[in-house]
Amino acid sequence: MTMSTQLPHCLLGMFDDDFSLDDYKGAEPRWCVGCGDSAVLAAVQRLCRDEQLPPEKTVFVSGIGCSSHGLHGRALPVAEGIKLHRPDLHVFVITGDGDCCSIGTAHWIHAIRYNMDMTVLVLDNGIYGLTKNQVSPTSPLGMKSNTTPRGTNLEPINPVSVTLGVRNASFVAQAVDWIPELVQNIVTAAFRHKGLSFVRVLQRCPEFLDGRYDPWVKDPGRMLLLNHKDGIQTSPSLANVYRNQEEHDPSDRNRAREIASVSDPIPVGVLYRNQNVSCYENPRGPDRLYTPDVVKGVLENELDRFTIHASGGGDD
Amino acid sequence: MDSNLSALTAFHLTGERPSGALDQLAQPNLRPALFGPYRDLKKLRYDFPLVLVNGDSGAGFVRSLSDIVDGILQDHAPEGVTGERLRQHLLKLETAARTLVADNGARPLGEIWSDAERKLQSEVDAAARQKLDQSLREARDGLSFGGEVIDCDRDMPTRLISHAWAASQRVRAKGLSDKLDDLTLKLNDILKTDAEHIEAAIEPEKLKRNVGKSFEGEFDFGVMSRLLQAAPGGDALPEARRRRINSLLSVFKAQRFLPSAEPGRKAGRRKAPYAFAFDSCEAALEAIQERLPEMAKLVKALAVAELEIANRYEPSKHDHFFRHFSHRQLHAEDFALFPSYLVCLNGENDNPAERSMLWQALSSGLPIKVLLQYDDVLGADHHGGERLSADLKGPQLAAMALGLGDVFVLQSSSAFLYRLRESLGKGLASDGPALFSIYSGASPGGAAGSNNSAAIAPYLKAAAATESRAFPGYVYDPQAGADWASRFHLEANPQAEADWPMRALQYEDTGLQRDTTDTAFTFIDFAACDERYASHFAQVPQSNWHDGMIPVQDFLNLDTDSAVAKVPYVWMINEDDALYRAIVEDSLIGAARQCRDKWRSLQEFAGINNSHAEALLAREREVWQKEKEQELEALRGQAVPAGCGGEAQTTPTDPEAATDSIGEAAGEALEEAPEEKSSDEPYIETPRCTTCNECTELNARMFAYNDDEQAYILDPEAGTYREMVEAAEACQVAIIHPGKPKNASEPGLSDLVARAEEFN
Repeated sequence: MTMSTQLPHCLLGMFDDDFSLDDYKGAEPRWCVGCGDSAVLAAVQRLCRDEQLPPEKTVFVSGIGCSSHGLHGRALPVAEGIKLHRPDLHVFVITGDGDCCSIGTAHWIHAIRYNMDMTVLVLDNGIYGLTKNQVSPTSPLGMKSNTTPRGTNLEPINPVSVTLGVRNASFVAQAVDWIPELVQNIVTAAFRHKGLSFVRVLQRCPEFLDGRYDPWVKDPGRMLLLNHKDGIQTSPSLANVYRNQEEHDPSDRNRAREIASVSDPIPVGVLYRNQNVSCYENPRGPDRLYTPDVVKGVLENELDRFTIHASGGGDD
Repeated sequence: MDSNLSALTAFHLTGERPSGALDQLAQPNLRPALFGPYRDLKKLRYDFPLVLVNGDSGAGFVRSLSDIVDGILQDHAPEGVTGERLRQHLLKLETAARTLVADNGARPLGEIWSDAERKLQSEVDAAARQKLDQSLREARDGLSFGGEVIDCDRDMPTRLISHAWAASQRVRAKGLSDKLDDLTLKLNDILKTDAEHIEAAIEPEKLKRNVGKSFEGEFDFGVMSRLLQAAPGGDALPEARRRRINSLLSVFKAQRFLPSAEPGRKAGRRKAPYAFAFDSCEAALEAIQERLPEMAKLVKALAVAELEIANRYEPSKHDHFFRHFSHRQLHAEDFALFPSYLVCLNGENDNPAERSMLWQALSSGLPIKVLLQYDDVLGADHHGGERLSADLKGPQLAAMALGLGDVFVLQSSSAFLYRLRESLGKGLASDGPALFSIYSGASPGGAAGSNNSAAIAPYLKAAAATESRAFPGYVYDPQAGADWASRFHLEANPQAEADWPMRALQYEDTGLQRDTTDTAFTFIDFAACDERYASHFAQVPQSNWHDGMIPVQDFLNLDTDSAVAKVPYVWMINEDDALYRAIVEDSLIGAARQCRDKWRSLQEFAGINNSHAEALLAREREVWQKEKEQELEALRGQAVPAGCGGEAQTTPTDPEAATDSIGEAAGEALEEAPEEKSSDEPYIETPRCTTCNECTELNARMFAYNDDEQAYILDPEAGTYREMVEAAEACQVAIIHPGKPKNASEPGLSDLVARAEEFN
């Protein structure tokens, strides 16, 4: 919030906003035991608490899927509308592999291009779980499901590679639900980034794709942690377990693309980050305030163009 | 000593003229020789006249006529022959306009331009007229703004600075008015949202009106109203909050710091907005004092409004604070929101009371912008035994203001003011006090007397004051950084790194050949422009020139011993451009030395020949030299045992080997560290927990989440060892370590211990 005087800053201190995790909890989610969604929810709640985001200034917009129940594939346009009209709000978008990469693909690409200041989390479990086991655009090749009983014969989309292909991308990261500290760090870096931050979270689905990521969960050596002072830094305790690391400068888009295309080891961390991409909402702000008088004046002028003068004298 | 030299020396030391030998300067006809080329300013292209640009055309607040013409030429006259016609015509137009302003005084740019056009048109024949008209049309097209055209005269500093101040004031006012509009809009939104909840909004009649005539037959508004009443609505706005918001809105409306927000409507009962320009610091300070309570009221309203809008106003805490809020709580930052104050003073009307008010204003930290204009920096010549000193009133006041530290200080003569326009704008826009110390070069009004400005144009006089360091230009901007290097700039002075600027004096010798000599423009040359000081000079005919006569700038560098039998002179010319040497009386030389010393301290501020830096440099250089010498000595010593080279090579590798082994040892230690944990006690690697609920669903008394929603073992004895092992097996990320069983009597233990092995 920008303050016009010094005063409110001191005065806000008098209002003790001590938000705890409970302030960010609503109904208990009905997820399967062992679902990766829980790790993301916990990380996001911790983020809200750590950044002390006022609940009434924080908006989560979702599409549909196991993660959330909203308009199918349209979370991004709704979020963009909110951000345009209320730039003071913190906007988060929760979407999934089906929601974002299938029906919502057009919105996804253009949202990256608009680069509005919001945090987008794609919870990618590679399956339509909510509707009970159908292939999604990110399902692995050969996966059998209700819609592909003999196994899918399409290569999956890589959401990170696709996003990196859009010129205006400004923050692209990948996390996995089984390293919670990393989810937390990446979500925090994403939130603090000015512009659209795109975070793909690889998730396990214990119900329909059980064991898909077991080799990576069990062998830390098959994870590749990306470190950089402009991205995130691995803590010493984590570095002890996950020794396969790379110093990756997030401003290097070409290297980011190479890293993104590797699926084993799984890269996690900030792949790309550019703080100089302009945000769509910034130059969009009106150059004057639309006070009732201004609105009235504009309307009068517009309507005057259609005025028929009784005298027939035309403009005067 | 020959008789000629002794006469010259006698004048230099005593001011006595042997009868018939040395004439006093034939003022007003003589002037410094370097003024030679600047006799008729109307024919020259220079920074004047200036155009005070109207409104916010994006062209800045001031442009010189030459800049405007250059701009048009750049846009409309292509390089080479094609653009030549427009170039020729437009430059003639510029000269005509400059002459008109110089002869007739300030007028709007449009008028001057038209008059100049007519003058040019009257001078050409019909054949040339068509081409001229075409050029004039093109030039007109390039002219994108209007404004008053002013020349370099006594009123110029006041007009320019008042105009620039008004422009900066518009920016400030817009900032505040936008803020007020924005807050008003948002506060009204809060009231409006509430109005939509209240019962009146869902009465059948109101609903019917809202739907409109076209479809009113389609609905039963009674039923609609009942349905809406039953629907859960938001909480109504508490009455106290509505009152608070309304009172904020009325404070915004009643404020007088901005010109009327609704220009179209009659001001009605509203009081007239405040004025912010004053002609004395006393009046300005009085006005500020008087307005403080109103100011505090508005600052308070702004703060409360922001809290209201952020939904962060807590009556239990804030009410008390705001009840006791008064102007005593206002900070300098709060003043930054409000318009700044302008005070225009003339140094000639100096009096102790106003001087003390000036210091009060400048040290207040408030945005008070003071123009202190000087029309005379030398002051009258004090005869009758009183020793003359360079009583440089203007420069001294500004130098004292530098001492205050947080005052923006800009000093300049009129001639350089246009070049400092950017700094001028910065000083006016800054949130703190500013002092603009300006020497006009014009003849002072009132009783101060004539100082020969009839012959020398104010522009030239002003330029001479800066060149001669009598009125040096500088900018001190406390906002520009934390140190003097970023705050203080002397760049506005010609050849700022030198004592005096050196200029090439071109002349024709007795054989009609062109010759050049380098000569400085010193304080003495500036004094020589002033006929009040004519008695301190004596013009020496060429027949009496002597080797003992040396240029003033050289004389000033001599010590007392070498100055014996030397007489300083300056170059002068008469109205026929004949060169003269004028020797100078010693009292004036003393003043010149003082002036140079003051200039040197300014140079030190700006980092030129800074004595501390030079001392440090000398010291460091000495240390460096010693070190180098020692190194050389050492090398020379080593060079003797030539056969020892082999050993020397092996030595440097040893430390590396040592660090390697340390690194390995450290690595091993790190790897061993996690193994130290006892495998008897069950534990969870909490930071790795993904919050998947597996363990907590299994036994919520045994496993629980911490403040970060990550699992830990709450009570290992709240369940069986079997549960512990099953939880470890179920854990998605295998971070539960079951340890050893506590209760040896639990059935099936041996099997469980074997299963737990994998996780311990």
